[in-house]
Amino acid sequence: MIISISHLSKHYTIYKKNPGFLGTIQSFLTRKYEKVKAVEDISFSINEGELVGFIGPNGAGKTTTLKCLSGLLYPTQGKASVLGYDPYQRKSLFLKQISLVMGQKNQLWWDLPVIESVALNKEIYGVSEGDYSKTLLELTELLEIGNLLNVQAKKLSLGQRMKCELMSALIHKPKVLFLDEPTIGLDVLMQKKLREFIKEYNKRYNATIMLTSHYMRDVQALCKRVIIINHGRLLYDGQLLELIKKHAPYKLIKVIFKELVDPKKVENLGQIMRFVYPELVLRVPHSKMGKIVTKVLEEFPVEDLTIEDPDIEYVIREVFSKNIK
Amino acid sequence: MGIKKYFMLWWLFTRITTQVALQSRFGTVIFLVGKLLRFTFFLLFLVLLVSKTKSIASYSFWQVIFFFATFNLLDSIPQFLWREVYRFRNYIMRGFFDYIITKPISPLFRCLFGGSDILDLFILLISVVFAIYSAGQLSVVTFTGVIVYMLLIINALLISLAFHIFVLSVGVVTTEVDNSIMLYRDLTQMGRVPIDVYQEPLRGLLTFVIPVGMMMTFPAKALMGILSLENMLYAVLFSITLLFLSLYFWQFSLKKYASVSS
Amino acid sequence: MSKYSSIIINTWNEILTYRLSFVMWRLRTIFQLLTIYFLWHSLIPKSQTLFGYSQSVMLTYIVGTAVLSAIVFSTRTHEIGENINSGNLSSFLTKPISYFGYWFCRDIGDKLMNISFSIIELFILFFILRPSLFIQTNIEYLLFFLIAIVFGVLLYFLIGAMLGMIGFWSPEVWAPRFIFFILVQFFSGALFPLDIFPKPIFALFQFLPFPYLLFFPLKIYLGQISFAEIAQGLTVTMVWIFVLWHGVALVWQKGLRMYTAYGN
Repeated sequence: MIISISHLSKHYTIYKKNPGFLGTIQSFLTRKYEKVKAVEDISFSINEGELVGFIGPNGAGKTTTLKCLSGLLYPTQGKASVLGYDPYQRKSLFLKQISLVMGQKNQLWWDLPVIESVALNKEIYGVSEGDYSKTLLELTELLEIGNLLNVQAKKLSLGQRMKCELMSALIHKPKVLFLDEPTIGLDVLMQKKLREFIKEYNKRYNATIMLTSHYMRDVQALCKRVIIINHGRLLYDGQLLELIKKHAPYKLIKVIFKELVDPKKVENLGQIMRFVYPELVLRVPHSKMGKIVTKVLEEFPVEDLTIEDPDIEYVIREVFSKNIK
Repeated sequence: MGIKKYFMLWWLFTRITTQVALQSRFGTVIFLVGKLLRFTFFLLFLVLLVSKTKSIASYSFWQVIFFFATFNLLDSIPQFLWREVYRFRNYIMRGFFDYIITKPISPLFRCLFGGSDILDLFILLISVVFAIYSAGQLSVVTFTGVIVYMLLIINALLISLAFHIFVLSVGVVTTEVDNSIMLYRDLTQMGRVPIDVYQEPLRGLLTFVIPVGMMMTFPAKALMGILSLENMLYAVLFSITLLFLSLYFWQFSLKKYASVSS
Repeated sequence: MSKYSSIIINTWNEILTYRLSFVMWRLRTIFQLLTIYFLWHSLIPKSQTLFGYSQSVMLTYIVGTAVLSAIVFSTRTHEIGENINSGNLSSFLTKPISYFGYWFCRDIGDKLMNISFSIIELFILFFILRPSLFIQTNIEYLLFFLIAIVFGVLLYFLIGAMLGMIGFWSPEVWAPRFIFFILVQFFSGALFPLDIFPKPIFALFQFLPFPYLLFFPLKIYLGQISFAEIAQGLTVTMVWIFVLWHGVALVWQKGLRMYTAYGN
């Protein structure tokens, strides 16, 4: 077990200010504080080499949990353990084996070529010369950024910068990687590339990765297992496929017809999600799927037929709206 | 990690910061000129004063210059070494401090020494020249005096270090203070002239409680042979206690940061 | 008018939100004042004069610099450069508001806040230190004193605005301001009255804009200059204001053309 947390809670106080000038004066004199339960009694554990998606809306407590795991915050209650260490003690040996990357905060030196930041991290993490040049080569190839290393960080595009951030954060080949919204603000193509990289890094180095993301596609493409939290509480921890089966126990059948068909005949096939000739999308329970597919193929002029899993965004929304455990 | 490793890291950080600083030639030159102007102007002011009054608080012209040079020495060394403290609020606000904490080197080292400013070396050099020259004009300089002077300079630097650590800690705890390092600077500015200038009870306050006199005036007085042994011992005791307290406060602030930040 | 008064109130809001920073700032100004106050206090013993100043007149001058600093030197114009650099200027250009009117209101907000704090502080210090201060009773001098302060405020705002517009051409808006601060500190007379300099040097200073920020108004208050000299000083100030006013307008036009041409 690489990561485990049990009954972890993290509360903190924030100060509230009433609007307007009077409110400002008031809070100048006396500040009102309010307790926020960012994380409340969460437990889970993660094995070596797992790539786990960490999902929840804004303010659900994802970042707080990641910060507890990377030693930035100490828990109000409960225990966290990463690689056998208590993260909050921030032992040097521990820190050398992890890395935290936040999509919204950069750590490259703004005015300097990327390679300078990477070289600095080499020294900070005490990476040997041999390992350094080897990892550097591997990462530049994987990320396809060989030509960017000598460019000033501020001159990079958002996507390029994120790649370089990753490179600099991975130069010590961390065993555990915490990625907080790594694809935020990137275009679809760049998101895909980063996803591929994260997957490859996970496989090649058998690294344990926890990833939070707003983009369900990230999670779907990368993670077999997901952990869902909302309002600081754990809602689901398990296989993504199981989740889909449980909350969306159906498949989508997509049919393209060869020629016009009678809408009436289509109606009693099952629940129609969309029907715009020539495309028909049906939502059917697993149990009836075989039957319906045969029926469609037998009774209609079919050009093409595909069976798909339900849209993950939809499933997640479902989970949050029910808010069940 | 050993001292050697940390020294190497410091060298690396300094190289990088220097690179960044020199990228803007215009800014570099202007800042340098500004610092030189500030030094020259105050020097002129002192010259003008002493030319009329013959002495300040019963110190002769060269004694006053020596006090001023010592002040600048003790003003520029911390600025050179610990310039990163001035950028610290920015790090806290932008969340960069999170990255600092998750690195396997001491965050305190990183936040103090991570951006030494070579621009301050020029003033440092000028101060040394002035200090040596004006000391040469004093008739009472002895070998032990010089040794004690240097020891008290180191002692003053320890006090300054403690202040810098306090400033960092306050930054971590409140996340909103950006003036506190400048407050330290303003306080120490009072030591540009020998502390004897000030009236009691302010003088006593500045000497023993807010250790401006201990930092800026004691070393020079020791060289002139007019500082009592008790005062020296008190200064050493003070700096060690203060440093100890500041380290304690730093640990406390880290704990606090870990419990309140979101 | 209400949009400008709400800018002033917003500025107060901002200051009070960062209350610790503001308190620190006020503390800094107190320390700065005390340093110089005591320096002069020890340099001029009672019943003696130095450079033609008696102790009470000199201390009045020093306390006066503290008050005038709060009035004249409180400013937000140092944010103009960043505002242009960051491209936030764009959001002003699309609003029906005068850009410099906005910044002048910010200045007024900042000044009012600093003045009120400075008055309280000085009261407290006055009761602790009990200095014998010189009180000007001549109404004419007081009138000219007020006029000189208003001119000083305008002058300082225009210089600040001018420096801020460096942001159109360079990201380094801080370095020039750093030099400016140092020049102001010495040549406005914040450390010492400028007429302690030898006559020929002092005569040169009078052509710079800096003496008219602190030194000149305070000399009027102390009643130490003739009405002819007051007239001359006010004329020089007006010339500077005139030149800077048009300079600011010109540079603004040029900068804006560049800003809009390249986009931000």
